Amino acid sequence: MSNSILSLKKLNLAYNKTVVVPDLDLDVREGELIALLGPSGCGKTTTMRAIAGLMAPHSGTIHIDGKDVTRMPANKRGIGLVFQSYALFPHLNAFENVAFGLRLKKLAETEIKSKVEHGLQTVGLAHLATRKPAEMSGGQQQRLSLARSLVMEPKILLLDEPLSNLDARLRLDMRTELQRVQRETGVTMVFVTHDQSEALALADRIVLMKDGLIEQIGTPSELYNRPRTKFAADFFGFENIFKISGNALVGDAGSLQVSYQVDAEYLAWRPSAVTVGNGSYNGKIVGVAFAGEHIEYVLETLLGQITASSPAAERKFKVGETIKFDLPLASGFALYP
Amino acid sequence: MNSKLASRSIIVITLLFLIGPFGIIILAGLSAGDFMTFPPDGISLKWYAKVFEVKSFRASFALSMFLAIGGTIAALLLGIPAAYAISRYKIPFAETIKTIVAAPIIVPGIIVGLALLRYLVVPLNFTVTIALFLAHTALVLPYAVRVVSSSLNNLRSDMEEAAVLLGCSRVGAFIRVVLPNIRSGVLAAFILGFVTSFNQVPVSLFLSGPGVRTLPIDMLSYMEMTYDPSVAALSALLAFLSVAIVFIAEKFLGFSRYV
Amino acid sequence: MFQNNREGLFLALPAAVFTGLLFLLPVGFLLAEAFKVEGSWSLQGYIDFALKPLNQTVFLRTLKLGFFVALLSAIIGYLCAFCIINLNDKSRGRVFGLVILPLMISPVARTYAWIVILGRTGIVNDALIGMGLLDTPIRILFTETAVFIGLLQLFLPLMIISLVSAMENLPKDVIAAARVLGANWFQVFTKVILPLTKDGLVMGGTLVFTGCLTAYITPAILGGSKVLMLETLLYQRVNVANDFISAGIIATILIVMSFSANQLLKRIASARQ
Repeated sequence: MSNSILSLKKLNLAYNKTVVVPDLDLDVREGELIALLGPSGCGKTTTMRAIAGLMAPHSGTIHIDGKDVTRMPANKRGIGLVFQSYALFPHLNAFENVAFGLRLKKLAETEIKSKVEHGLQTVGLAHLATRKPAEMSGGQQQRLSLARSLVMEPKILLLDEPLSNLDARLRLDMRTELQRVQRETGVTMVFVTHDQSEALALADRIVLMKDGLIEQIGTPSELYNRPRTKFAADFFGFENIFKISGNALVGDAGSLQVSYQVDAEYLAWRPSAVTVGNGSYNGKIVGVAFAGEHIEYVLETLLGQITASSPAAERKFKVGETIKFDLPLASGFALYP
Repeated sequence: MNSKLASRSIIVITLLFLIGPFGIIILAGLSAGDFMTFPPDGISLKWYAKVFEVKSFRASFALSMFLAIGGTIAALLLGIPAAYAISRYKIPFAETIKTIVAAPIIVPGIIVGLALLRYLVVPLNFTVTIALFLAHTALVLPYAVRVVSSSLNNLRSDMEEAAVLLGCSRVGAFIRVVLPNIRSGVLAAFILGFVTSFNQVPVSLFLSGPGVRTLPIDMLSYMEMTYDPSVAALSALLAFLSVAIVFIAEKFLGFSRYV
Repeated sequence: MFQNNREGLFLALPAAVFTGLLFLLPVGFLLAEAFKVEGSWSLQGYIDFALKPLNQTVFLRTLKLGFFVALLSAIIGYLCAFCIINLNDKSRGRVFGLVILPLMISPVARTYAWIVILGRTGIVNDALIGMGLLDTPIRILFTETAVFIGLLQLFLPLMIISLVSAMENLPKDVIAAARVLGANWFQVFTKVILPLTKDGLVMGGTLVFTGCLTAYITPAILGGSKVLMLETLLYQRVNVANDFISAGIIATILIVMSFSANQLLKRIASARQ
């Protein structure tokens, strides 16, 4: 706990009687970029709001920089939040939006000016200081919102779905922008997202949440390559996940006797891990799609449909063909509930 | 084309029916004769001048202005917090509170006047002026709440959260962030309240005493006694006043979307 | 949304207490008074009231005028609203402004104009005599016709506003689409416009009808004691006879009718869905 800037202990969050987050423990190290990842309703936004002080936890504690802030009002916590909607002040221009918090701190005018200018520069908006938010593009508003939080030099910067309102191209720009800002300022960032690719690309560590509970915490490569649970595997793109029951794999349509036995609840294969063209089982090809270097097949099997891919250079099959395939234990992935 | 012409005529005829009478009043007030006639007997401004000489008109104009301005300000002071609470909080009994505040729209004014006379003025020794002030405040309150609420609902509440996270107190966030952004709604509410209150008649029918009369009541009783064109002149002046206020409000606030 | 609901209640309560205590409570007392005859609770006041022929006439007249003013407003309102939404933006704004304008002008002034127009030596009589259609002026003032015209002019703008905003929300090109599919104008109106604008019609209808029920100045000036409506009757009963029981009964009738008109129209609108 000594080197964690943010520490949540046994946090219980509820709206009226509806418990959203029953019991949450989390430590964030200084300078980290953390993603709270999960489907909508998993409690990630609620957790973020609790950290910011916009909602009071039912029980549990929140420590920032070693200090208990559980009962501290939001305006005293020194936390920045970039809202999903940006929440810019429409009646103030870009400069005044960024200066808003500094003025409340009663800083000297010259100091405010230099801080605001530096802040606008950091996000590349120095030339738009006199524009009102309504006169800016979505990407510019996003960056203005970021600058407004950054100039306050928050201990932690929270970002709510920071990329969701941007189009695909801007999203890529903003990703790099966020990483650059984080490198330059060294601020601890916690961002909320439902998009696994966003979390994988941006975060140092990902906190995967489900129904208010932490499903798995780890680096992007840990979560992507070694998901621990079925939910995590689902979330990170495993397609063929089957329950193990003794010597059989159980799918939607039926089961398949296999020669191995493992100590796990589920076994999963990425499409590329499925052997196509030889093996001990039969499957009928019902779909073929060319995806650049790979060909993706959809096979109708005793288990139900499974997805496989093989390098485009290999032998091709046609829809309707019945082929051999295999689900080798070696490339399979053990998962726990 | 034909349908265009037809559609133009429908609009013109309707507007003539709605607004034409005011043209006639303006002209009737310009009459040089001593009785209301149209077309007027000659042209003079003497009746317009007389309006300003009638003492009771001056006193009742002052009372009406006081009620309209004071009552509307009071209604805004009560209504803005209520509108804010309704749009931003999940308050208990929200529906009941809304119904109570909106009730004065449904209750006919004449009944209100009578009720306040019988149960506030007579037994509790309220002066008629205070009773009028209370009645006008309550009458304007629903409009104030409605117009301010619609302004608030167009304003995202996360702006206030952003302000708080930047160091504002809740009250500070309201003053620095909410108020500047609902300014035009508040102004529109003020104008709507002012006009409603100023033109209000039925409430004041029973709530008037010696020397305490609102302008419209005074005009009514003047009409009963004399048939000279001064009431036409006064009506025309009041119409001009309303038109001017509404014109300016429309120009700067886009007033019509709040009505 | 904020969590601290007590704070919210604290903000909303002053307005509710103010209206409740200083407005609704006295009105409630007044309504209750009608159920008290010589100190004890009784419906006798209501029975006496209902049996008087004058009261029956006034009650029915008020309903009749309210209904027909609302009906004619709706007809004119649809015609106008249809013409207005087909204007370009600039002239639409202007016409809309002119429609709203009368609402902002004192009803006394608005009604007063009709004396000049409808009076014995007014424009209408002068014109009719001038054209040789009449020998002596006819009485228009202090008839139901005069009150009807006055009320129509007073409340038509409310209907037009409601219908214009309802029509502005019509999906673009539905009318054109219906025409292309072979509907005639009557069908376009009954099958497309009416169902899609019924909320506006309900809104406008309620405003006009309740407006007519509770209008005082127009029946007072244009109807006088010859054409009493409920509000003018109430005033007369109190002023002439100190009859607070009748006043309370009329007040109850007015409130109940305003309220039920609103509810009924809402019901009709949702049943049609």
